[in-house]
Amino acid sequence: MTSAISLDEQAVMPTAPRPARRSIAQLLPSRSPKLVVGLSIAGVIILWAIIGPLIVGNPNAISTSMFQTPGTAGHLLGTTQTGQDVWSQIAYGTRGSLIIGFSVGIISTVLSAIFGILGAYIGGALDETFALFTNIVLVIPGLPLVIVIGNYIPVNQRGLFLIAIVLALTGWAGSARVLRAVTLSVRNRDYVAASRVSGEKTWRILVVEILPNLIPVMASQFVFAMIFAILGEAGLSFLGLGASNSFTLGTILFQAYNDLALTQGAWWWFVPPGLVIALFGCALSLINFSIDEIINPKLRNSTRAVRKKWGLSPAQIRQLDEEQIK
Amino acid sequence: MSLGHKGKVLLSVVALVAATTLALTGCSASTTTKASGKTTSVTLFNGSVGNFTENFNPWLTTGAELQPTQGTIYEALFFYNMARSQAPVPLLGTSYKWNSDGTQLTIAVRQGVKWSDGTALTADDVAYTLNRYESTPALNTLGATWTTKLSGNNVVLTFPTTSYALEPQILGYIAIVPKAIWSKIPNVLNTTNTSPVGSGPYMLKTFTPQSYTLTKNPNYWGTGAEAPAIDQVRFISLANADAATSALESGNVDWMGGYLPTLRDIVKQNPKVSYVNTADSTTGVVTCSNAALGCTGPQTDVAVRQAIYDAMDRAQFSTQALNGFGEVGSPTLLVPAVNKKWISDSANATLPQSANVSAAKQALEADGWTVPATGFATKGGKELDLTINVVSGWTDYDTLCTLLKGQLAAVGINLTVNQVAQNAWSSAETSGKFELSLNSVNPGASASPFYIYNNYLATSATAAVGQSASTNTSRFSDPAIDATVKTIAKTDPSNTAALLSAYGSIQATVVKQLPIIPIYVNQALTEFNNSNATGWPSASNLYAFPEPWKAWDNGIVLKTIRPVK
Amino acid sequence: MPPGPGFVKESRTVQFYLKKLVFYVVALWAAVTLNFLIPRLMPGNPVDVLIAKMGATGQPVTRQTREALAIALGQGNSTNWFVQYGEYINNLVHGNLGVSIVDFPASVTTVISQALPWTICLIGLSTLISFLLGIGLGVLAGWKRGSWLDNLIPVTTMFQAVPYFWLALILVLLLTRLTHFFPFAGGYNVYGGLVPGFTPQFIGSAVYYGFLPALTIVLSSVGGWMLGMRNMMVSTLSEDYILTAEAKGLKPSRVRLTYAARNAVLPSLSGFAISLGFVVAGSIVTEEVFSYPGIGQLLWTAVSNDDYALMQGIFLVISVSVLVANLVVDLLYALIDPRTRARS
Repeated sequence: MTSAISLDEQAVMPTAPRPARRSIAQLLPSRSPKLVVGLSIAGVIILWAIIGPLIVGNPNAISTSMFQTPGTAGHLLGTTQTGQDVWSQIAYGTRGSLIIGFSVGIISTVLSAIFGILGAYIGGALDETFALFTNIVLVIPGLPLVIVIGNYIPVNQRGLFLIAIVLALTGWAGSARVLRAVTLSVRNRDYVAASRVSGEKTWRILVVEILPNLIPVMASQFVFAMIFAILGEAGLSFLGLGASNSFTLGTILFQAYNDLALTQGAWWWFVPPGLVIALFGCALSLINFSIDEIINPKLRNSTRAVRKKWGLSPAQIRQLDEEQIK
Repeated sequence: MSLGHKGKVLLSVVALVAATTLALTGCSASTTTKASGKTTSVTLFNGSVGNFTENFNPWLTTGAELQPTQGTIYEALFFYNMARSQAPVPLLGTSYKWNSDGTQLTIAVRQGVKWSDGTALTADDVAYTLNRYESTPALNTLGATWTTKLSGNNVVLTFPTTSYALEPQILGYIAIVPKAIWSKIPNVLNTTNTSPVGSGPYMLKTFTPQSYTLTKNPNYWGTGAEAPAIDQVRFISLANADAATSALESGNVDWMGGYLPTLRDIVKQNPKVSYVNTADSTTGVVTCSNAALGCTGPQTDVAVRQAIYDAMDRAQFSTQALNGFGEVGSPTLLVPAVNKKWISDSANATLPQSANVSAAKQALEADGWTVPATGFATKGGKELDLTINVVSGWTDYDTLCTLLKGQLAAVGINLTVNQVAQNAWSSAETSGKFELSLNSVNPGASASPFYIYNNYLATSATAAVGQSASTNTSRFSDPAIDATVKTIAKTDPSNTAALLSAYGSIQATVVKQLPIIPIYVNQALTEFNNSNATGWPSASNLYAFPEPWKAWDNGIVLKTIRPVK
Repeated sequence: MPPGPGFVKESRTVQFYLKKLVFYVVALWAAVTLNFLIPRLMPGNPVDVLIAKMGATGQPVTRQTREALAIALGQGNSTNWFVQYGEYINNLVHGNLGVSIVDFPASVTTVISQALPWTICLIGLSTLISFLLGIGLGVLAGWKRGSWLDNLIPVTTMFQAVPYFWLALILVLLLTRLTHFFPFAGGYNVYGGLVPGFTPQFIGSAVYYGFLPALTIVLSSVGGWMLGMRNMMVSTLSEDYILTAEAKGLKPSRVRLTYAARNAVLPSLSGFAISLGFVVAGSIVTEEVFSYPGIGQLLWTAVSNDDYALMQGIFLVISVSVLVANLVVDLLYALIDPRTRARS
């Protein structure tokens, strides 16, 4: 599930933003259709997660009307084995999953910033240690570890946030490695060196000169961390190790699978939660496409074929390429 | 669209692969059944998923030993049927007798029995087995001591005290092994015994990690109705409920156990498929009830337990959690289908089926709780919050807890459901660090109520919170009950009048104290496909517990079934 | 005398390999130690689990049962952790992973060796297929930017945003429940008396049974490879040497494969090594859905039975295979791309 993150320093090097400072405005994604679609879907789902639980009924309310098909009176998406309303559960589940997604995104971005950016900027033994630690965390398989740990957290403490912390602790290393590579390349730029020579304070250089260049990369890593967390939580829940006493899309899927919804043909119980995850993940991917295009302008849609049509010489194309990078 | 083209290619590849493989598998399947012609076989699915690890060690009780080890490959002296009240069935023993004070047990060993390798089984083998069991601490799961003496064709066990209660465990749960083989093995637990030599109706033929086959033991002692008639028995793994269902319908599996939600439809559509629903054990909410032993929480208060008892809508549990396959239980914790005769007060025969919300609220109010019309009850500013542990993935139990949460909310109890892994669930209950736990009251070594009351109510079976309690996890402790249990253990099993009154006094306390709040009798569903064999246990003839995972009963079922002519 | 330039280069290469080696040794030690610590930091007792199981399957359980089982399973040795750690390392060096509780007294090595081939075949092969397919499609998409294939990328990444097991459930619903194309679960057809081995029947059956799980894995991971490769391809195509090659008038197919793709694939290769670890881990859920008899399901069995020795063994196998895969790729990488060595 993390295979989309290019985890390798070499992979990042050429795509890292090389040249001079940019204004914040330039960092904002240009309005591509991908971005608009991505943001709209994500926006609707986020809005639903906030408002939904306020307007639907109690997701725990039981009734004797088990396995009602979608559309039956009062049950937009039908009911479960215990007569609970699937629609209400999904509203609460979406909220739970998003809370986990955002928490993991924030925690793992902070962790990866500490181990990636700070280490790379300060350099020396600290950097070596941080890099070694990051690489070790990266090669130790995360999910089995999460399963083993998840199994032993006392259930009554296994709330959403604890699950989020466990997922973040095992999921930050990839981002840290990417951030370190980018920081290294930014750190060695002339203007950073110039600031250092002119006696700027370390934290100021870090915050004013370096961080702005890292924002798109961090944003992209944040988005990846969210996808990873939502999928990871769903996987954990599916094994029965998810957050207890709170609805997430994963716990709904787990319940459905366990209560043999598949065998009994109750598709309305397990198809919608997965679809919500898929849609949200898709929206995040689309957003990430747009961020990628900022980080690496070569990915923007002016193809070589298009430029050739302009009748430019190879040298001119090269010049254009370079300008665009700037 | 270009995607459409790719999709078609993929689909046709899929179809091709499917068709070829179907042809291949179809071929191989038909060759095994048809080419063998006269070889009859049944296939059994006992719920194993994943790989089998070859292990036929009859001394093990950890479940690592493959299931046919006990009862099918090796036999005990007698068979104790848990599915109904009946006398022990003689196997390697032909009769047994207690002396008058219950300190000496004389067992007559069957003569003319041979091990599957052709050597003779003698009383010496039996004496060796029982002695080795008794003298090895790691094997002696009974923790009892005795001396074993060989006397002609009899084996005599002498106990230091009256020991009627040990009878079923010794006679029914110790696999008799050949002395010639096992006396050479210094630590019997350290072997996986991959070429077992036993006396049971079947012996091992072939083994692979996903299926293994047993074949009829030509030296088996039984004749006529007691001799196995099916040539081969195959045990398979690698299936979930879905796969097992389709295998059952197609006749690939003859015998399986487990809850299938669509069972009634399957039976309707497949005349060859039948099922039997056996009363198994009472499902109940185990409460950590004894504050004196360290339990904390509102459930230590008997009024709260009574309120939970009254608030339960058991009819809804049965319909929605068990699809109507459950049976009405008894507040005495006994299973009426098996032990009706031991329920002394007919008022305690059955559990109420509908909720009595007003009684529940009254019980709480009488105890000083303030119960509002809506919302949760409070006492001294504290809300009535309880937490129940349940194993996640045990579908019926999980559903039951969801329903219970809703039902208790109606009487002002705020129930939190903790779905946990099985190990966490059992360790919470064992250590006493829980409030409520959904579990079942398992019968002990035989159908006698003694084992239930001794295991679930006696002080000797419990421990303070923080220490491991073996079976009495509710921490219930009552000197009067302890004394009664001791008396029963020393009572001659034939003295029914004395036993009934003793049980009655225990039952009177249990139904008031409710350390375990009973819900219903959990049913064990067993499904058969009758195309290859007949004579399976049925509701009218439960000659053994029908579930395919019941080790000792399996051997009995497998030698009783007959091939379809 | 100062060493000559040749020597400097040589020593830098040696230094590079040394540094890599040190890293892997430290990583291995960390994995092994973590492996030692986890079960000791966690509460839980396998005897409790066994007792609960015995009760549930109708075996008589008494207080003494617990004591006997504890003795049988060798529980309750309370030597201090340092001694235990020493013993643990010593056992590992001798290839002794201990005895499984679930399958007592079978050794952990035996139990793992039964499950490992299934995972390697299913997960390994489908990861490889997905990698090759993704790389291939990525090359095409990157070469013809803006083409229909390129526009398909967001769709393939959508599969990636779908939970593995949900995709599996949907496939099961469509291809086995509604159309009966494929079997529900398992590794091969166990009903017909097939014996695992290199027979056409067995392999055919295993392929047939493995198709759905493999399809799930490929569908959900191919998009990532495709996107990564496409982006690298796009970046590489703007390098000077590509222009030179084009200017020389080489055939486009030659430029595409020999010049662009070959260089662009490098980062994906090392991504592949790392992903192997994630794949084994991710397979736990897939194997669970399809009841596939592999290592993922075994880990789940070990975890739910508090079988520490087995848990440790599996964890070790996964960690070591990931480390070895990374080491191999790292070394290969350095061989293929000399810049790596120089940079260090």
